[in-house]
Amino acid sequence: MPADSYAVAIPVGEISRPRRAEQGSGNQNPTSYRNMRGSLAAQGNRIDDTSLIREAQQGNRAAFEVLVRHYDQSVLRLALHLTGSESDAQDVYQEAFLKAYKNLGSFRFECSFYTWIYRIVTNLCLDHLRKRNVRKEDAPVAVDASGEEYSRLEQFADARSGANPERDLMRRELGRKIGAALSRLTPRERMVFELKHYHGLKLRTVGEMLNTTEETAKNTLFRATQKLRAALAEMR
Amino acid sequence: MLRYAGAFRRCGRMLPRRDTNMKCDWVRQNILFYVYNELEDDARYEVEQHLARCPECATELKAARKFHATLSEMPVVEPTPNLLTASRMRLQEALETAQPGGFWHRLILEPGVWLRQIRMAPALAAAIFIVGFGGGIGATYNFLSARGGPVAVTDQPLAQPLESSAIAGIRSVTQEPGSNQVSIKYDTVLTQEAQGSLNDQRIQQLLLFAARNNYNSGVRMDSVDVLTQAPDDSRVREVLMYALQNDTNPGVRLKALDGLSGFVRQDARVKDEVLRALIADTNSGVRLQALRLVEPMKADSNVRSVLTKLAQTDENVSIRSQARTMLAQMPEMD
Repeated sequence: MPADSYAVAIPVGEISRPRRAEQGSGNQNPTSYRNMRGSLAAQGNRIDDTSLIREAQQGNRAAFEVLVRHYDQSVLRLALHLTGSESDAQDVYQEAFLKAYKNLGSFRFECSFYTWIYRIVTNLCLDHLRKRNVRKEDAPVAVDASGEEYSRLEQFADARSGANPERDLMRRELGRKIGAALSRLTPRERMVFELKHYHGLKLRTVGEMLNTTEETAKNTLFRATQKLRAALAEMR
Repeated sequence: MLRYAGAFRRCGRMLPRRDTNMKCDWVRQNILFYVYNELEDDARYEVEQHLARCPECATELKAARKFHATLSEMPVVEPTPNLLTASRMRLQEALETAQPGGFWHRLILEPGVWLRQIRMAPALAAAIFIVGFGGGIGATYNFLSARGGPVAVTDQPLAQPLESSAIAGIRSVTQEPGSNQVSIKYDTVLTQEAQGSLNDQRIQQLLLFAARNNYNSGVRMDSVDVLTQAPDDSRVREVLMYALQNDTNPGVRLKALDGLSGFVRQDARVKDEVLRALIADTNSGVRLQALRLVEPMKADSNVRSVLTKLAQTDENVSIRSQARTMLAQMPEMD
């Protein structure tokens, strides 16, 4: 995929505006708050991005590595949640940043570096989801770096265990259902839902990342939630 | 559905209050975006006003919030420090060998970008105009040979060779009777004329170009004709051999053969080329002429084998009989 295909005309600083709007929301879940805090911290980093990008474009690998550090944790988090596999997430991480490094010359500051790198990541994740749909893999079952299967949802339950084993069991069951419902979405629906619900991005930003309009992203989110509600209702 | 919501927002007008069902539909379609904080202020206000009055829609809002909370039960797990460190190390290793797409990439592949960036468009435009204008004047030159009388009419150095890529075609080649002065009209972007001695490098270059490349066979003929006067030059001989082998016009091939006549004995490549023409040339006139050229060398074993073949297989009676005669006159070899 040529890097040019990522380029869209978005004024620099576009990302920060919708995020500020999000701050005022009274309907955010705890996950979104956490991501928001992360993104606000990242905004400070973005001030330095322009000079880092320019240095990296002139062949300074250390500058590129600093850029990577600004974004790699959120990239890995997205890839991990979408793919459900540490090794797949690592592959997406690796491929995304290598692609960014090789195509850095075509980055023209028409959008934020954050949008640009996320566009690469979402494209790679979409490819991954499409391949997985063909393989009909079960979403909540994950494979760790050593190749062993485990349930991410169980892992989460374990992390909170100790207080109430019965509650853990219910949580695991619910997690399995949600995983199954999410796996029924198309890759694009899954991606829009993921970016909106779990990563708290504005639909406008989601549209930019997926090279589409805010209105299309809205329609896709609506469709995804309808499907998820129907799927979860069936499972009860 | 969403188009309707969008239209509502764009107008910024409230729907008629009496149309409660329509309003409920609109609110239910937008409750999801209300929960996700994706409604603009006016639409948000409208939804809240309606929810305060409509218990059914308020129930729908509760359901939407419950759905939101349920989905949030599957949290986004932070990557472990080990995974992050391992990913970073792996990337660093790969970056050691990867080629960055940086400054040079942009400079080479996207010259437009750096041209734009240096923001010198007016100065560059002026520079390009000046260079183009000067180049245009420089290209419309006439020159005359320094040798043998005629004087160069421009200060263009005669010895400077022409770029063959700059020659679009040769229009005509004429030689002044009784002298070695040649006049050549050739096209670049505009038709130009060059005059000079046959010894002039520029003239020779144009002639060589015309003999090889010109679309007009008359011009090729004239060029080869002129070139036959300087067959001592190895480049000229190359061109004559090329013409003998490849030119589609038999007249040109015949001229080339004439030009090569003095070299059949001393240049083995010329001899081979003439023998090839003797066997393969489609024109019997060219073959007859070639036969005459090789006659003084009929003792040569190669020539003799070609003559034997010609005596048996040539379609032209005259050539067959002449070849037989030449073979009969040949002294017996041991």
